[in-house]
Amino acid sequence: MNRTISALGFGLKFLVAHIGVVAGFGLMLQGMVISGCSGGGGNEAGSVTVYVSEDQVFSEPILNDFAKETGILVKAVYDTEEAKSTGAMNRLIAEKNNPRADVYWANEPIRAEVLKQKGISASYISPNSVDIPAVFKDKDGFWTGFSARARVIVVNYGVKEPPESILAYTDSRWKGRSVIANPLFGTTTSEIAALFTIWGDEKAENFMKAMKENEVALSTNNGESTDFVASGRYDFSLVDSDDAVNRMRQGKPVRMIYPDQGENETGCFIVPNAAVLIKGAPHPDAAKKLIDYLLSGETERKLAFADCAQIPLHSGVGIPPELKPIDELKVMQVDYAEVASKLVKIQPFLKAWMEL
Amino acid sequence: MTRRNFLLFIVVLFLVAGLLPVISMLVKSIIADGVFSLESYEGLLSSKRQWMLMGHSFLLSTLVTTLSMAVGVPLGILFEKTDLPFRRLFILLFVIPLLIPPYIIAVSWFYLLGGDGILAHAGGTGLLISGIVSRLLFGLPGCTFVLFSIYLSIPMLLTMIFLRTVNPRLEEAARLVSGVRGVMKGITLPLVMPGLLLSAMLVFLLSFGEFSVPNFLRYDVFPVESFTQFSAFYDFRAATAASVPLVGVTLILLLAEAAFLRERTYQLNPTPEDEMLPPIRLKKKRNLILILVSMICFVVVIVPFIALLTRAGGPDTYVEAIGRARGSLLRSLLYASAGATILTFFGFFIGYSIETGALSLRWSLDSVTVFLFALPGTVIGIGLISLWNTPWTNFIYSTPLIVIVGYLAKYTALTSRITVAQLGRIPQSMEEAARVAGAGWFRRMIFIMIPMARRGLIAGWLVGYIFSLRDTGITMLVYPAGHETLPVRIFTLMANGAPELIAALCMIMVTATLLPVGFAWFIPGLVRGRGT
Repeated sequence: MNRTISALGFGLKFLVAHIGVVAGFGLMLQGMVISGCSGGGGNEAGSVTVYVSEDQVFSEPILNDFAKETGILVKAVYDTEEAKSTGAMNRLIAEKNNPRADVYWANEPIRAEVLKQKGISASYISPNSVDIPAVFKDKDGFWTGFSARARVIVVNYGVKEPPESILAYTDSRWKGRSVIANPLFGTTTSEIAALFTIWGDEKAENFMKAMKENEVALSTNNGESTDFVASGRYDFSLVDSDDAVNRMRQGKPVRMIYPDQGENETGCFIVPNAAVLIKGAPHPDAAKKLIDYLLSGETERKLAFADCAQIPLHSGVGIPPELKPIDELKVMQVDYAEVASKLVKIQPFLKAWMEL
Repeated sequence: MTRRNFLLFIVVLFLVAGLLPVISMLVKSIIADGVFSLESYEGLLSSKRQWMLMGHSFLLSTLVTTLSMAVGVPLGILFEKTDLPFRRLFILLFVIPLLIPPYIIAVSWFYLLGGDGILAHAGGTGLLISGIVSRLLFGLPGCTFVLFSIYLSIPMLLTMIFLRTVNPRLEEAARLVSGVRGVMKGITLPLVMPGLLLSAMLVFLLSFGEFSVPNFLRYDVFPVESFTQFSAFYDFRAATAASVPLVGVTLILLLAEAAFLRERTYQLNPTPEDEMLPPIRLKKKRNLILILVSMICFVVVIVPFIALLTRAGGPDTYVEAIGRARGSLLRSLLYASAGATILTFFGFFIGYSIETGALSLRWSLDSVTVFLFALPGTVIGIGLISLWNTPWTNFIYSTPLIVIVGYLAKYTALTSRITVAQLGRIPQSMEEAARVAGAGWFRRMIFIMIPMARRGLIAGWLVGYIFSLRDTGITMLVYPAGHETLPVRIFTLMANGAPELIAALCMIMVTATLLPVGFAWFIPGLVRGRGT
């Protein structure tokens, strides 16, 4: 009995002596659990979780507008594509058995195809996808493209007769004067995989080898390639249209050419964003509303006039003067599902090519 | 609950938080479709590129270690043993780069020396220098310099700490027959050699596993391979396998440390202030050395911050930055504080277990904490997802608690070693006397040991806070949607974000990191005391 009383007394003294630490610690943890569960104060039923591979500076304003217009709280995880660190895509794959995300905003359809192949996405055909050309959406509704980048040739002003085809990379006239981004990542990989699907393996491999023999330089990303061209270190590079437009708006001495627009030429590779519904999404209704919003003409208009300068896939949407409407472009006719499969198969070749 | 049971409980919690995710990852890397398979490991180090990357990592780490030791050790000697003016200010300044995320230092040099940097816009000579130096920035020279500037303070601080443990009577006796140089060479340096080797090992390990700086400055190193598997191929098994060589190097160095250094680096008995020898007088060379040290400090510490401040511009940018990242900043402070508290709690009891030998697995436990500290954050992060992302553990995984679990896994080594060092200075007789007087173990902890270890606990909390605040590797992988921290936000905004905004956010990050440190530094007795 005495021991029990003593123990109780000791416990009381302990609590009194350390009430500040214990209370603060407990409040902190409690705050974190509550804020984590409620997502910072919003109603769980009125929220949507989106994983985003599009750059945060461009995607966040769109998501904020959606939240304001619908009252649905948006909780986002953003990617760090530039830093090549693991991000949204890998989280989705890692969380496959217990999905936390409702929607995935991919910055290229290849990622969306990978999710479909891994059984992570679900089919949803949005009413806003009707006017989007068939080549830019999955036929079963597992992803739908919107707001695209074009793969373009950015050329320094000082170049008198600029190249108009990607075959310029193998032209001896440009030996040592061209640069391309690391082909193991991003849109460069996607375009190379696309060439493999339309040219065949042999022709595509020969093209890559000839590029190396023509002393093409490698950069870490499209932005760096564009900066190299702007500084005059190289004459041209194959980059995304948003990188080129971005530097043009900054007044850098570069211009943009849509390659291979001739009659028997391949056309330029288009890289749309893609909206994906996640299989087993915790909030499917809010997810569908978000996808409808992303696929709307208004979103495409905003992304066209933002610094990302992305080309709307709906016809009739206003665009800035630096861009061409999608229906005025000769587009490379590819099957993105085939490109996604080919991308994985050519990785050993690309790794070996890097070591040449 | 007995002492042993309580400590075991703490250790088990730590192992579940830290080691189990990593074991889970390693197990999954050797199981394919339910069958044992080493397929992920077959291609490891088989290609020329992988050996090239490994060679790059070794070269970079060796250069950084050599430079850091070559400059850090003499600085430590100067600050600890001589009458150089402004020693405390220099110590504080040199430590600053270690406290902030490494990529921020890389970013600030980029803002200064990059093709579109401050120097390039200066025109004339500035443009010329920028053109030359910016090429050196991107690649091995730039990576080496940036990492050297970050890790320089490690050998500096450890040299100072171990110099304090040298018995002054030995030096005094030696000075009867030799000058200062002879004493340093024949007596002092050999006695502090274990500390120097420990600092070299730490710098090597930290720079070997570093990814963000080489990635930003475009120098391919082996950690790139692991991240490539994640980013390009989404192959977690291969990514785990790709991190095994990194783990292997870490283990080899830890084993060496355990075999040759452990006993001599753990039991630190600093000399009391009043028994120390008077400082060595630099006399005529004093001003010259002061100028040299000031120049090093200016280049390594001051210049990058000037670049950040210049790039950030005026108050408007900071107002915009705070407006856009207010939530991230508050979350960072909250998570770092919570993380530091948890780390201090676990670090204390794990450190107590190691110091007193209360559990038989003391050295294994120490090795596990250091192993997890050296492991790339991505491996721990993916392990956390694979272990905790279940419907039954959503209350952890879907909340910021998962971030705290990540901090616990990665940074317990820091707080436990600080505790060990602090407890080593508390006479065992204090606890024994209390025990003889009838106080149970919990009462001895609460009323004797914790108060006596107060400074160490505060120091441990500060260290835990800094490392938790600057973490990106784990946080980026596991933070719940909508709960990103400030370092993560800076990282995600770097893609096409306005450079002014990024610079302002970096300065805010630096301020948030340094404020508690400065607070603790300038309040007498809070952390610093005799022999601290």
